[in-house]
Amino acid sequence: MSRVRARFGAALVVAAVLAGALGGCGAKQGGGTEGGQADKEPYRIGAVVSLTGTYAGLGVPEKKAIELQRDAVNASGGINGHPVEVIFEDDATDPAKAAAAATKLIDQDGVLAIIGATGTAQTMAMRSEVQRAGVPQVSMAGGSVITDQLDPMVFQTPWPNRIVVPFVLKAIAGKGLAKVALISDSGGYGKDGHAIIAKEAPAAGITIVADETFNPGDTDMSSQLTKIRAAKPDAVLMWNAGKEAALIAKGMKQLGMTQPLFGGPGNGRKEFIQGAGDGAEGFRFAAGKILVPSAYGTDTEAYRVATEFIDSYTQKYGEPPDIFAGHAYDAFLIVVDALKRVEGEPTPAKLRDAIEQTKGLVGVGGTFSYSPTDHNGLTESELVLYRVENGAWVLDTQ
Amino acid sequence: MKARYRQALVALGAAALLAVPLVVSDRYVLKVLTFVGVNSIIVVGLALLFGFAGQVSLGHAAFFGIGAYASAYLAGTLRMPWPASLAGAVAVAALAGWAVAMPSLRLKGHYLAMATLGFNEIMSVVFIEAKAVTGGIDGMGNVPFPSLGALELRTPATLYLLVWGVALLVIAAAANVVRRKPGRAMRALHATEPGAAASGVNVAAVKVQTFALSAALAGLAGALYAHTVGFISPSTFGLDLSILLMASVVLGGRESLAGPLAAMAVFTLLPYAGALVPGVSRVAAETIQDWVPDLVGLTVVVVLIVKSRRGGLTRPSGTTTDAGDVR
Amino acid sequence: MSGADALQFVASGLQNGAIYALMALGFTLVFASTGIINFAQGEFFMLGGMLVAAGVAAGVPLGACVIGAVAMTAAIGCLVERLALRPARSAGGLALVIITIGCSMLIKSGARHLFGPDERAVPPFTAGQPLRVAGALIDPQALWVIGLAVAAAAALTAVYRFTKVGLAMRACSISHDAARIVGIDTARVVMLAFGLAGALGALAGAAVAPVTQTAYDVGARMGLKGFAAALLGGLGDPVGAIVGGFALGLLESGAVAFVSGTYKDAVALVVLLAVLVLRPQGIVGRHLGEKL
Repeated sequence: MSRVRARFGAALVVAAVLAGALGGCGAKQGGGTEGGQADKEPYRIGAVVSLTGTYAGLGVPEKKAIELQRDAVNASGGINGHPVEVIFEDDATDPAKAAAAATKLIDQDGVLAIIGATGTAQTMAMRSEVQRAGVPQVSMAGGSVITDQLDPMVFQTPWPNRIVVPFVLKAIAGKGLAKVALISDSGGYGKDGHAIIAKEAPAAGITIVADETFNPGDTDMSSQLTKIRAAKPDAVLMWNAGKEAALIAKGMKQLGMTQPLFGGPGNGRKEFIQGAGDGAEGFRFAAGKILVPSAYGTDTEAYRVATEFIDSYTQKYGEPPDIFAGHAYDAFLIVVDALKRVEGEPTPAKLRDAIEQTKGLVGVGGTFSYSPTDHNGLTESELVLYRVENGAWVLDTQ
Repeated sequence: MKARYRQALVALGAAALLAVPLVVSDRYVLKVLTFVGVNSIIVVGLALLFGFAGQVSLGHAAFFGIGAYASAYLAGTLRMPWPASLAGAVAVAALAGWAVAMPSLRLKGHYLAMATLGFNEIMSVVFIEAKAVTGGIDGMGNVPFPSLGALELRTPATLYLLVWGVALLVIAAAANVVRRKPGRAMRALHATEPGAAASGVNVAAVKVQTFALSAALAGLAGALYAHTVGFISPSTFGLDLSILLMASVVLGGRESLAGPLAAMAVFTLLPYAGALVPGVSRVAAETIQDWVPDLVGLTVVVVLIVKSRRGGLTRPSGTTTDAGDVR
Repeated sequence: MSGADALQFVASGLQNGAIYALMALGFTLVFASTGIINFAQGEFFMLGGMLVAAGVAAGVPLGACVIGAVAMTAAIGCLVERLALRPARSAGGLALVIITIGCSMLIKSGARHLFGPDERAVPPFTAGQPLRVAGALIDPQALWVIGLAVAAAAALTAVYRFTKVGLAMRACSISHDAARIVGIDTARVVMLAFGLAGALGALAGAAVAPVTQTAYDVGARMGLKGFAAALLGGLGDPVGAIVGGFALGLLESGAVAFVSGTYKDAVALVVLLAVLVLRPQGIVGRHLGEKL
């Protein structure tokens, strides 16, 4: 008896869910855009960020930065009188969810552009959708693959490894350090960096004397570091974007290793300094100038833009923005700037062309100039070398 | 009378599912419902394995992944025709299932759970490291759409019909299997192994065959997934999915196909609830997304408690229940 | 490889092994008294670290934070048993395991709502320079980790062997019905097992957080390691849990030394699967657990 009833109940659940789904789409289709007659219709932008899952620590500040800038734009009268509406979707750090979110934003919400995703795999998963619909996408993920495999629809705001790696290698070589031990993670960012480091090292006059890896989420690096110690390098270079960086810095100190440690933009997080403590002292890494805006020179437009963002973000959220918030700021800025330049009623196609024509746009991560062959728009000149001193970032001018 | 009534209901449900693209034109809704179809195929296989044969697997996401990568590689990289790549993927997944089941014959319960879970973790490493085949951590894009000769299925509606067509065939076949001799052998195994052996069931063979069949279905689902989504990456095929699938089957109840299917449908649709249910405000939709893991966890706990109180949740049919329980 | 380096690998293996051993003990206690695998064990580990981090951030002295985190997690362990598992007791077997998975989702997600997604640092229990032992350098916190694990294991073994409660727990691990007949309150024993499992997990999480930092999502991975260690040693046997924990730690450290960091987890799993197939009762275990 009960089994039959249970099955019937199950069938009812499915039916209810389906009914909900059908009803839902019907309502949405009829809906169109809401809002009063007084204001002009809002411009809709979608944002796919990782608010849960592995990249939640990156996606949350990204969302905050976009919300902050959206409010700022709307408070100052919007874009040519149109307010901006941002629709956020959480991809839960899952590529399939990111792809579905792109479909929803395009088909249900009719967005003009999509900002996102937080991660490289999620960004790549959305590619076929934005291609099909012809909607421009501005990614906040750092993987080189995003703009190396050039797609007319896809743009990128962070500094990709192909720009950062040669800069760091030059910095290491410039300090007279030739034998370098490499430690990188097996995640997307670490693997991407690893491949480029291996390729570019000889040209920079650097020999890789040890090459160790670890998995994202690993909680002990001492075995890898013991092997590195045995290789007697002049310097250690780590390439990863996660919390394991603190373990490496701390582990080196515990193993009595005094070699200078170098890294990339993924290590410019306050959690790294908190986690590594003393071990972080003297750590050098390359990143854009957002961490210490005076690197731009205090009389520049870039300095003004960066400090204004840092101040308003700090005021609203009680902590300074990190690098990822900066990438989100830039992505939103690029879309808004292009929207201002579109003539007539904006469409995704017109917006895409306008984004590609971005020239000399000053963001917090650098000055962006896109072209039909360059959808990253940044150069090595946007990077500086930082050093951790007394628990804070300072410019490494030595 | 009752059986006929139920059959009619099932046929009506199947027809309604296939008619969805006639009334729904929203690509997003069709896509999400296609996910449900893909997951249905895996869950049917797992329901056969656990619900009927009593074998645990916390590694089905890996078989799903094997099917996805195999088909994507055969059709995308080697340019094989789609039907051949689909068949190849199913064969590779079945072989993998067989290879896992053989040495695991001696294991049961928690040990089998650990073995399959370990297999899933090892495959996650393989998907990331075998870059030449899988595209590595960045994933594999541009998986071709399913095609038969000149006919290419590329719209969400046709992909929906393909996936649900296959899923309904699989469900029908499975429902048929469990009513006949193989199903009886599986159930006998589940109730008591020595008993099954004594009544002439080749215990080892039934176990391995069921496992391979179940893995093959996961592989079929994987192949369909790869060609409908067009992009696959290792994180999709992790332990989280294996656990959610197993939870669906346990939640749905033993010796049932409808129960696990319903549970899986709810879990699959929950993250998209904000966009699927009418009249949900944007703030509410974002809140739902934020609380999905809590909702899933709570559903699992509450449903299992309620079902166990009503009795007969995971007991093999025929065992007695506590006094006071009404069956 | 020099002797000092070899010793360094061993030291690293022992530190991780101690954590795995504490986790495996948690799994084993629950398994022995209920016959199920508690998938929320990893979240107890996470709670230990996160509660200490939150306490320290709020200005509570470190020692009090550790004790408080262990006590609170033990209470949460009891609550999981009382609120989620006991009401479904008649379901048995895998349904209860799946309920613990549901609980782990709730605890993990709850921690994210409460503490946010970022990782958190915890100060070391005692400040000081690394100790030099025959050329290898050992962090003081590593000694805390190993020391606490050994002390907890010893205390637990003593309770198990020499006290009435321990006797009751052992009786329950053989047969609930028989235990009930001789007057043991089996429900309380099961609750106690969950409380102790919570305390052990939290202790592991609190002790290692100064070394590794902690975050809301560290539980699943550590739960997996603890489960593997428990099986490696022999499920249901406290001595086996400790042996399995240290064996797994040393195995991983050896995998990095001789293979590569990328394949560390895979190598450890392959060895574990081989052990399972060849000797399903584990290294130490004597009987094959056929429950479920």
